Amino acid sequence: MREFHPLVKRWLDGELSAEQLGAELADELAEARALLAAVDRAPVTLAPSVEQRVMAELRRRPTTRWSRAWRWIRETHELRLRVRPWAVAALAAAAVLVILLAPGRQASAPAAVAQTPESVFVKFVLYAPGAHQVSVAGTFNQWDAQATPLAPANEPGVWAATLSLPVGQHLYAFVVDGRRWVADPTAPGVDDGFGRRNSIIAVTPQGRVS
Amino acid sequence: MLFCTLAAAGPLLAQQPADPLAGRLPPAAAAQVRAIAAQASARALPAASLVQKAIEGAAKGVPAARIVAAVQALADQLASAAGAIHDAGITLPDSASIEAGAFALTAGLSAAQVRALAKAAGTTGQRATALGVAGTLAALGVPTAQTVDLLSRSLGSAGDLNDLAGQVEAGMAHGQSAAAAAAGLAHGHPATPNPHRPTTAHGGSRKP
Repeated sequence: MREFHPLVKRWLDGELSAEQLGAELADELAEARALLAAVDRAPVTLAPSVEQRVMAELRRRPTTRWSRAWRWIRETHELRLRVRPWAVAALAAAAVLVILLAPGRQASAPAAVAQTPESVFVKFVLYAPGAHQVSVAGTFNQWDAQATPLAPANEPGVWAATLSLPVGQHLYAFVVDGRRWVADPTAPGVDDGFGRRNSIIAVTPQGRVS
Repeated sequence: MLFCTLAAAGPLLAQQPADPLAGRLPPAAAAQVRAIAAQASARALPAASLVQKAIEGAAKGVPAARIVAAVQALADQLASAAGAIHDAGITLPDSASIEAGAFALTAGLSAAQVRALAKAAGTTGQRATALGVAGTLAALGVPTAQTVDLLSRSLGSAGDLNDLAGQVEAGMAHGQSAAAAAAGLAHGHPATPNPHRPTTAHGGSRKP
Protein backbone atom coordinates (compact mmCIF):
# COMPACT_ATOMS: atom_id res chain seq x y z
CA MET A 1 0.00 0.00 0.00
CA ARG A 2 1.21 3.52 -0.81
CA GLU A 3 2.36 5.37 2.28
CA PHE A 4 2.14 9.16 1.92
CA HIS A 5 4.16 11.75 3.81
CA PRO A 6 2.41 12.90 7.01
CA LEU A 7 2.00 16.41 5.59
CA VAL A 8 0.35 15.00 2.47
CA LYS A 9 -1.95 12.97 4.73
CA ARG A 10 -2.92 16.18 6.50
CA TRP A 11 -3.61 17.78 3.08
CA LEU A 12 -5.81 14.79 2.22
CA ASP A 13 -7.67 15.34 5.49
CA GLY A 14 -8.18 19.00 4.59
CA GLU A 15 -6.00 20.28 7.41
CA LEU A 16 -3.36 21.88 5.17
CA SER A 17 -3.43 23.67 1.85
CA ALA A 18 -1.28 22.57 -1.10
CA GLU A 19 0.91 25.65 -0.73
CA GLN A 20 1.89 24.66 2.79
CA LEU A 21 3.40 21.37 1.66
CA GLY A 22 6.48 22.77 -0.06
CA ALA A 23 8.15 21.95 -3.38
CA GLU A 24 9.82 18.77 -2.18
CA LEU A 25 6.41 17.15 -1.76
CA ALA A 26 5.09 18.31 -5.13
CA ASP A 27 5.38 14.88 -6.78
CA GLU A 28 3.70 13.15 -3.88
CA LEU A 29 0.97 15.79 -3.87
CA ALA A 30 0.36 15.25 -7.56
CA GLU A 31 0.06 11.53 -6.98
CA ALA A 32 -2.47 12.13 -4.20
CA ARG A 33 -4.46 14.47 -6.40
CA ALA A 34 -4.58 11.76 -9.11
CA LEU A 35 -5.89 9.24 -6.60
CA LEU A 36 -8.54 11.66 -5.41
CA ALA A 37 -9.61 12.29 -8.97
CA ALA A 38 -10.06 8.57 -9.49
CA VAL A 39 -12.48 8.29 -6.59
CA ASP A 40 -16.09 8.16 -7.74
CA ARG A 41 -17.92 10.60 -5.51
CA ALA A 42 -21.24 10.15 -7.16
CA PRO A 43 -23.94 9.23 -4.61
CA VAL A 44 -25.05 5.62 -4.70
CA THR A 45 -28.67 5.23 -5.56
CA LEU A 46 -30.33 1.89 -5.00
CA ALA A 47 -32.88 0.69 -7.42
CA PRO A 48 -36.44 0.85 -6.06
CA SER A 49 -36.69 -2.92 -6.42
CA VAL A 50 -33.97 -3.45 -3.79
CA GLU A 51 -35.97 -1.77 -1.05
CA GLN A 52 -39.07 -3.70 -2.04
CA ARG A 53 -37.21 -7.00 -1.89
CA VAL A 54 -35.73 -6.24 1.53
CA MET A 55 -39.10 -5.28 2.99
CA ALA A 56 -40.76 -8.32 1.44
CA GLU A 57 -38.14 -10.55 3.05
CA LEU A 58 -38.73 -8.97 6.47
CA ARG A 59 -42.48 -9.49 6.18
CA ARG A 60 -41.94 -13.08 5.07
CA ARG A 61 -40.13 -14.04 8.29
CA PRO A 62 -42.68 -15.48 10.72
CA THR A 63 -43.19 -13.64 13.97
CA THR A 64 -45.32 -15.99 16.01
CA ARG A 65 -46.71 -15.25 19.44
CA TRP A 66 -44.10 -17.56 20.95
CA SER A 67 -41.22 -15.91 19.13
CA ARG A 68 -42.41 -12.52 20.31
CA ALA A 69 -42.79 -13.87 23.84
CA TRP A 70 -39.34 -15.41 23.70
CA ARG A 71 -37.89 -12.14 22.43
CA TRP A 72 -39.68 -10.30 25.25
CA ILE A 73 -38.20 -12.72 27.77
CA ARG A 74 -34.70 -12.27 26.43
CA GLU A 75 -34.88 -8.51 26.30
CA THR A 76 -34.13 -6.33 29.30
CA HIS A 77 -37.13 -4.73 30.95
CA GLU A 78 -37.41 -2.35 33.78
CA LEU A 79 -39.41 -3.78 36.64
CA ARG A 80 -40.75 -1.63 39.39
CA LEU A 81 -42.17 -3.09 42.56
CA ARG A 82 -44.01 -1.27 45.28
CA VAL A 83 -44.40 -3.54 48.28
CA ARG A 84 -45.80 -3.23 51.76
CA PRO A 85 -43.54 -4.66 54.53
CA TRP A 86 -46.37 -6.71 56.07
CA ALA A 87 -47.00 -8.38 52.73
CA VAL A 88 -43.34 -9.39 52.44
CA ALA A 89 -43.45 -10.90 55.94
CA ALA A 90 -46.62 -12.81 55.11
CA LEU A 91 -45.09 -14.19 51.93
CA ALA A 92 -41.97 -15.33 53.80
CA ALA A 93 -44.09 -17.06 56.45
CA ALA A 94 -46.10 -18.80 53.74
CA ALA A 95 -42.91 -20.01 52.06
CA VAL A 96 -41.64 -21.44 55.34
CA LEU A 97 -44.95 -23.24 55.88
CA VAL A 98 -44.87 -24.73 52.37
CA ILE A 99 -41.34 -26.03 52.94
CA LEU A 100 -42.16 -27.51 56.34
CA LEU A 101 -45.42 -29.14 55.32
CA ALA A 102 -44.35 -30.46 51.94
CA PRO A 103 -44.94 -34.26 51.74
CA GLY A 104 -41.36 -34.98 50.72
CA ARG A 105 -40.12 -33.42 53.95
CA GLN A 106 -41.24 -36.32 56.10
CA ALA A 107 -39.83 -38.87 53.68
CA SER A 108 -36.40 -37.32 54.05
CA ALA A 109 -35.98 -38.39 57.68
CA PRO A 110 -35.27 -42.05 56.95
CA ALA A 111 -33.23 -40.94 53.96
CA ALA A 112 -30.95 -39.01 56.29
CA VAL A 113 -30.47 -42.15 58.33
CA ALA A 114 -29.69 -44.08 55.17
CA GLN A 115 -27.07 -41.48 54.31
CA THR A 116 -25.01 -42.61 57.28
CA PRO A 117 -21.86 -43.87 55.60
CA GLU A 118 -21.54 -47.64 55.63
CA SER A 119 -17.83 -47.46 54.99
CA VAL A 120 -15.06 -45.23 56.16
CA PHE A 121 -11.65 -44.62 54.68
CA VAL A 122 -8.96 -45.72 57.10
CA LYS A 123 -5.24 -45.19 56.70
CA PHE A 124 -2.97 -47.93 57.95
CA VAL A 125 0.64 -47.00 58.60
CA LEU A 126 3.50 -49.19 59.77
CA TYR A 127 7.11 -48.28 60.43
CA ALA A 128 9.07 -51.25 59.14
CA PRO A 129 12.62 -50.23 58.26
CA GLY A 130 14.34 -52.74 56.03
CA ALA A 131 11.10 -54.33 54.86
CA HIS A 132 10.75 -55.10 51.17
CA GLN A 133 7.01 -55.65 51.22
CA VAL A 134 4.26 -54.83 53.72
CA SER A 135 0.56 -55.60 53.57
CA VAL A 136 -2.40 -55.56 55.93
CA ALA A 137 -4.71 -58.52 56.38
CA GLY A 138 -7.75 -58.87 58.54
CA THR A 139 -11.38 -59.73 58.84
CA PHE A 140 -12.11 -57.13 56.16
CA ASN A 141 -10.17 -58.95 53.42
CA GLN A 142 -10.46 -62.61 54.42
CA TRP A 143 -7.00 -62.43 55.99
CA ASP A 144 -5.50 -62.35 52.53
CA ALA A 145 -1.86 -61.33 52.93
CA GLN A 146 -1.61 -60.28 49.28
CA ALA A 147 -4.89 -58.39 48.97
CA THR A 148 -3.95 -55.05 50.53
CA PRO A 149 -0.32 -54.06 50.09
CA LEU A 150 1.04 -50.94 51.76
CA ALA A 151 3.14 -48.55 49.72
CA PRO A 152 6.32 -46.83 50.86
CA ALA A 153 5.47 -43.42 52.28
CA ASN A 154 7.54 -40.26 52.03
CA GLU A 155 9.50 -40.98 55.19
CA PRO A 156 12.06 -43.78 55.04
CA GLY A 157 10.84 -47.07 56.45
CA VAL A 158 7.21 -45.94 56.64
CA TRP A 159 4.57 -47.91 54.76
CA ALA A 160 0.98 -46.79 54.30
CA ALA A 161 -2.30 -47.75 52.65
CA THR A 162 -5.75 -46.23 52.75
CA LEU A 163 -8.72 -48.51 52.37
CA SER A 164 -12.44 -48.42 52.79
CA LEU A 165 -13.70 -50.38 55.77
CA PRO A 166 -17.29 -51.19 56.62
CA VAL A 167 -18.56 -49.69 59.84
CA GLY A 168 -17.97 -52.13 62.68
CA GLN A 169 -15.20 -53.84 64.53
CA HIS A 170 -12.34 -55.45 62.65
CA LEU A 171 -9.28 -57.47 63.59
CA TYR A 172 -6.12 -57.15 61.55
CA ALA A 173 -2.37 -57.54 61.45
CA PHE A 174 0.43 -56.39 59.19
CA VAL A 175 2.35 -58.89 57.08
CA VAL A 176 6.00 -58.00 56.55
CA ASP A 177 7.82 -59.53 53.60
CA GLY A 178 4.98 -61.98 53.06
CA ARG A 179 5.67 -64.14 56.09
CA ARG A 180 6.02 -62.18 59.33
CA TRP A 181 2.72 -61.25 60.97
CA VAL A 182 3.01 -58.10 63.07
CA ALA A 183 0.39 -56.52 65.31
CA ASP A 184 -0.11 -52.77 64.97
CA PRO A 185 2.02 -51.32 67.77
CA THR A 186 -0.27 -48.30 68.05
CA ALA A 187 -3.58 -50.14 68.36
CA PRO A 188 -5.14 -52.27 71.07
CA GLY A 189 -4.83 -55.99 70.52
CA VAL A 190 -6.24 -59.34 71.58
CA ASP A 191 -5.03 -62.93 71.51
CA ASP A 192 -5.67 -64.41 68.08
CA GLY A 193 -5.98 -67.97 69.38
CA PHE A 194 -2.82 -69.03 67.57
CA GLY A 195 -0.30 -67.60 70.00
CA ARG A 196 -0.09 -64.18 68.35
CA ARG A 197 -1.93 -60.88 68.69
CA ASN A 198 -4.51 -59.29 66.45
CA SER A 199 -5.00 -55.54 66.41
CA ILE A 200 -8.46 -54.04 66.82
CA ILE A 201 -10.06 -51.28 64.85
CA ALA A 202 -13.62 -50.15 65.52
CA VAL A 203 -14.97 -48.01 62.70
CA THR A 204 -17.97 -45.91 63.65
CA PRO A 205 -20.47 -44.23 61.33
CA GLN A 206 -19.06 -40.90 62.52
CA GLY A 207 -15.74 -41.83 61.00
CA ARG A 208 -13.96 -42.43 64.25
CA VAL A 209 -11.79 -45.43 64.92
CA SER A 210 -10.62 -46.96 68.14
CA MET B 1 -1.08 -44.94 63.16
CA LEU B 2 -4.63 -44.90 62.01
CA PHE B 3 -6.87 -42.14 60.93
CA CYS B 4 -9.91 -41.93 58.84
CA THR B 5 -12.29 -39.60 57.10
CA LEU B 6 -15.94 -39.75 56.37
CA ALA B 7 -16.72 -41.01 53.02
CA ALA B 8 -19.37 -42.97 51.37
CA ALA B 9 -17.75 -45.99 49.76
CA GLY B 10 -18.68 -49.45 48.60
CA PRO B 11 -18.17 -52.60 50.63
CA LEU B 12 -14.66 -53.94 50.70
CA LEU B 13 -15.42 -57.54 51.41
CA ALA B 14 -15.02 -59.80 48.45
CA GLN B 15 -17.67 -62.26 47.46
CA GLN B 16 -17.43 -65.34 49.60
CA PRO B 17 -16.77 -68.42 47.50
CA ALA B 18 -19.01 -71.45 47.84
CA ASP B 19 -16.53 -73.27 50.08
CA PRO B 20 -14.15 -70.77 51.63
CA LEU B 21 -12.10 -73.52 53.25
CA ALA B 22 -11.35 -75.37 50.03
CA GLY B 23 -7.70 -75.00 49.12
CA ARG B 24 -6.90 -73.28 52.39
CA LEU B 25 -6.99 -76.22 54.78
CA PRO B 26 -6.18 -79.90 54.38
CA PRO B 27 -9.44 -81.76 53.60
CA ALA B 28 -9.56 -83.49 56.99
CA ALA B 29 -9.09 -80.23 58.92
CA ALA B 30 -11.62 -78.49 56.69
CA ALA B 31 -14.12 -81.24 57.45
CA GLN B 32 -13.55 -80.80 61.18
CA VAL B 33 -14.07 -77.06 60.93
CA ARG B 34 -17.25 -77.59 58.93
CA ALA B 35 -18.52 -79.98 61.57
CA ILE B 36 -17.84 -77.46 64.34
CA ALA B 37 -19.57 -74.77 62.32
CA ALA B 38 -22.58 -77.00 61.68
CA GLN B 39 -22.90 -77.74 65.37
CA ALA B 40 -22.68 -74.02 66.12
CA SER B 41 -25.35 -73.25 63.54
CA ALA B 42 -27.61 -75.85 65.11
CA ARG B 43 -27.24 -73.97 68.41
CA ALA B 44 -28.08 -70.64 66.71
CA LEU B 45 -24.50 -69.47 67.02
CA PRO B 46 -22.88 -67.38 64.24
CA ALA B 47 -20.90 -69.98 62.29
CA ALA B 48 -19.40 -67.46 59.88
CA SER B 49 -16.95 -66.23 62.48
CA LEU B 50 -15.72 -69.81 62.96
CA VAL B 51 -14.97 -70.14 59.27
CA GLN B 52 -13.24 -66.78 59.42
CA LYS B 53 -11.03 -68.01 62.25
CA ALA B 54 -10.03 -71.03 60.19
CA ILE B 55 -9.24 -68.82 57.21
CA GLU B 56 -7.17 -66.56 59.46
CA GLY B 57 -5.18 -69.51 60.78
CA ALA B 58 -4.55 -70.85 57.30
CA ALA B 59 -3.40 -67.41 56.11
CA LYS B 60 -0.99 -67.19 59.02
CA GLY B 61 0.46 -70.58 58.23
CA VAL B 62 -0.72 -72.13 61.48
CA PRO B 63 -0.67 -75.95 61.61
CA ALA B 64 -4.05 -77.50 60.82
CA ALA B 65 -4.48 -79.13 64.21
CA ARG B 66 -4.00 -75.82 65.94
CA ILE B 67 -6.46 -74.16 63.61
CA VAL B 68 -9.11 -76.73 64.49
CA ALA B 69 -8.39 -76.22 68.18
CA ALA B 70 -8.69 -72.44 67.84
CA VAL B 71 -11.97 -72.79 65.95
CA GLN B 72 -13.32 -75.08 68.67
CA ALA B 73 -12.18 -72.60 71.35
CA LEU B 74 -13.98 -69.79 69.55
CA ALA B 75 -17.10 -71.91 69.22
CA ASP B 76 -16.99 -72.48 72.97
CA GLN B 77 -16.65 -68.74 73.55
CA LEU B 78 -19.57 -68.00 71.26
CA ALA B 79 -21.62 -70.48 73.24
CA SER B 80 -20.52 -68.87 76.51
CA ALA B 81 -21.40 -65.42 75.22
CA ALA B 82 -24.79 -66.59 73.96
CA GLY B 83 -25.43 -68.22 77.32
CA ALA B 84 -24.49 -65.07 79.22
CA ILE B 85 -26.72 -62.93 77.03
CA HIS B 86 -29.51 -65.46 77.38
CA ASP B 87 -29.10 -65.32 81.15
CA ALA B 88 -29.56 -61.56 80.93
CA GLY B 89 -33.11 -62.20 79.78
CA ILE B 90 -32.56 -62.16 76.03
CA THR B 91 -34.34 -65.24 74.75
CA LEU B 92 -32.89 -65.21 71.23
CA PRO B 93 -29.57 -63.35 71.18
CA ASP B 94 -28.63 -61.90 67.80
CA SER B 95 -25.42 -62.86 65.98
CA ALA B 96 -23.80 -59.43 66.38
CA SER B 97 -24.29 -59.46 70.15
CA ILE B 98 -22.98 -63.03 70.44
CA GLU B 99 -19.88 -62.21 68.39
CA ALA B 100 -19.31 -59.03 70.40
CA GLY B 101 -19.79 -60.97 73.61
CA ALA B 102 -17.24 -63.58 72.52
CA PHE B 103 -14.85 -60.76 71.64
CA ALA B 104 -15.34 -59.29 75.12
CA LEU B 105 -14.62 -62.70 76.64
CA THR B 106 -11.46 -62.95 74.54
CA ALA B 107 -10.41 -59.51 75.77
CA GLY B 108 -10.73 -60.63 79.37
CA LEU B 109 -14.28 -60.01 80.55
CA SER B 110 -16.00 -62.76 82.48
CA ALA B 111 -19.30 -64.35 81.49
CA ALA B 112 -20.91 -62.58 84.45
CA GLN B 113 -19.65 -59.23 83.19
CA VAL B 114 -20.96 -59.96 79.71
CA ARG B 115 -24.30 -60.82 81.25
CA ALA B 116 -24.32 -57.60 83.26
CA LEU B 117 -23.64 -55.49 80.21
CA ALA B 118 -26.20 -57.37 78.12
CA LYS B 119 -28.75 -56.70 80.82
CA ALA B 120 -27.86 -53.01 81.07
CA ALA B 121 -28.19 -52.43 77.33
CA GLY B 122 -31.66 -51.44 76.26
CA THR B 123 -31.72 -52.42 72.61
CA THR B 124 -30.18 -55.08 70.41
CA GLY B 125 -27.89 -52.61 68.67
CA GLN B 126 -26.89 -51.05 71.98
CA ARG B 127 -26.07 -54.47 73.37
CA ALA B 128 -23.73 -55.42 70.54
CA THR B 129 -22.08 -52.00 70.69
CA ALA B 130 -21.61 -52.10 74.46
CA LEU B 131 -20.05 -55.56 74.35
CA GLY B 132 -17.77 -54.62 71.47
CA VAL B 133 -16.63 -51.41 73.19
CA ALA B 134 -16.11 -53.37 76.41
CA GLY B 135 -13.76 -55.69 74.57
CA THR B 136 -11.85 -52.77 73.11
CA LEU B 137 -11.55 -51.01 76.49
CA ALA B 138 -10.29 -54.21 78.09
CA ALA B 139 -7.83 -54.64 75.24
CA LEU B 140 -6.61 -51.10 75.89
CA GLY B 141 -5.87 -52.13 79.49
CA VAL B 142 -8.87 -50.78 81.35
CA PRO B 143 -9.62 -53.21 84.21
CA THR B 144 -12.68 -55.27 83.34
CA ALA B 145 -14.68 -54.25 86.42
CA GLN B 146 -14.02 -50.60 85.61
CA THR B 147 -14.95 -51.27 81.99
CA VAL B 148 -18.32 -52.67 83.00
CA ASP B 149 -18.90 -49.80 85.42
CA LEU B 150 -18.04 -47.15 82.83
CA LEU B 151 -20.22 -48.73 80.16
CA SER B 152 -23.12 -49.24 82.54
CA ARG B 153 -23.01 -45.53 83.42
CA SER B 154 -22.67 -44.53 79.77
CA LEU B 155 -25.60 -46.70 78.70
CA GLY B 156 -27.80 -44.47 80.78
CA SER B 157 -26.54 -41.26 79.24
CA ALA B 158 -27.03 -39.78 75.81
CA GLY B 159 -23.36 -40.12 74.87
CA ASP B 160 -22.09 -42.32 72.09
CA LEU B 161 -20.59 -45.52 73.46
CA ASN B 162 -18.26 -45.68 70.49
CA ASP B 163 -16.53 -42.53 71.72
CA LEU B 164 -15.37 -44.13 74.97
CA ALA B 165 -12.47 -46.14 73.59
CA GLY B 166 -11.21 -43.16 71.63
CA GLN B 167 -11.41 -40.94 74.70
CA VAL B 168 -9.50 -43.46 76.78
CA GLU B 169 -6.87 -43.58 74.08
CA ALA B 170 -6.70 -39.79 74.08
CA GLY B 171 -6.05 -39.88 77.81
CA MET B 172 -3.35 -42.51 77.34
CA ALA B 173 -1.75 -40.33 74.70
CA HIS B 174 -1.47 -37.65 77.39
CA GLY B 175 0.42 -40.04 79.63
CA GLN B 176 -2.47 -41.38 81.69
CA SER B 177 -2.87 -45.05 82.40
CA ALA B 178 -5.87 -46.74 80.81
CA ALA B 179 -7.51 -47.02 84.21
CA ALA B 180 -6.93 -43.33 85.01
CA ALA B 181 -8.26 -42.27 81.63
CA ALA B 182 -11.37 -44.41 82.11
CA ALA B 183 -11.81 -43.05 85.62
CA GLY B 184 -11.69 -39.54 84.22
CA LEU B 185 -14.47 -40.44 81.81
CA ALA B 186 -16.54 -41.96 84.58
CA HIS B 187 -16.32 -38.68 86.47
CA GLY B 188 -17.13 -36.62 83.44
CA HIS B 189 -13.62 -35.42 82.68
CA PRO B 190 -12.73 -36.72 79.25
CA ALA B 191 -9.19 -36.15 78.13
CA THR B 192 -8.50 -33.37 75.70
CA PRO B 193 -7.82 -34.88 72.31
CA ASN B 194 -4.17 -35.13 71.50
CA PRO B 195 -3.31 -32.25 69.16
CA HIS B 196 -0.84 -34.48 67.40
CA ARG B 197 -3.57 -36.92 66.48
CA PRO B 198 -5.99 -34.52 64.88
CA THR B 199 -8.27 -36.52 62.67
CA THR B 200 -9.89 -39.06 64.91
CA ALA B 201 -10.29 -40.02 68.50
CA HIS B 202 -8.10 -43.04 67.97
CA GLY B 203 -5.72 -42.53 65.14
CA GLY B 204 -3.36 -39.74 64.54
CA SER B 205 0.07 -38.70 63.59
CA ARG B 206 1.87 -40.97 65.94
CA LYS B 207 5.49 -40.77 64.93
CA PRO B 208 6.88 -44.13 63.97
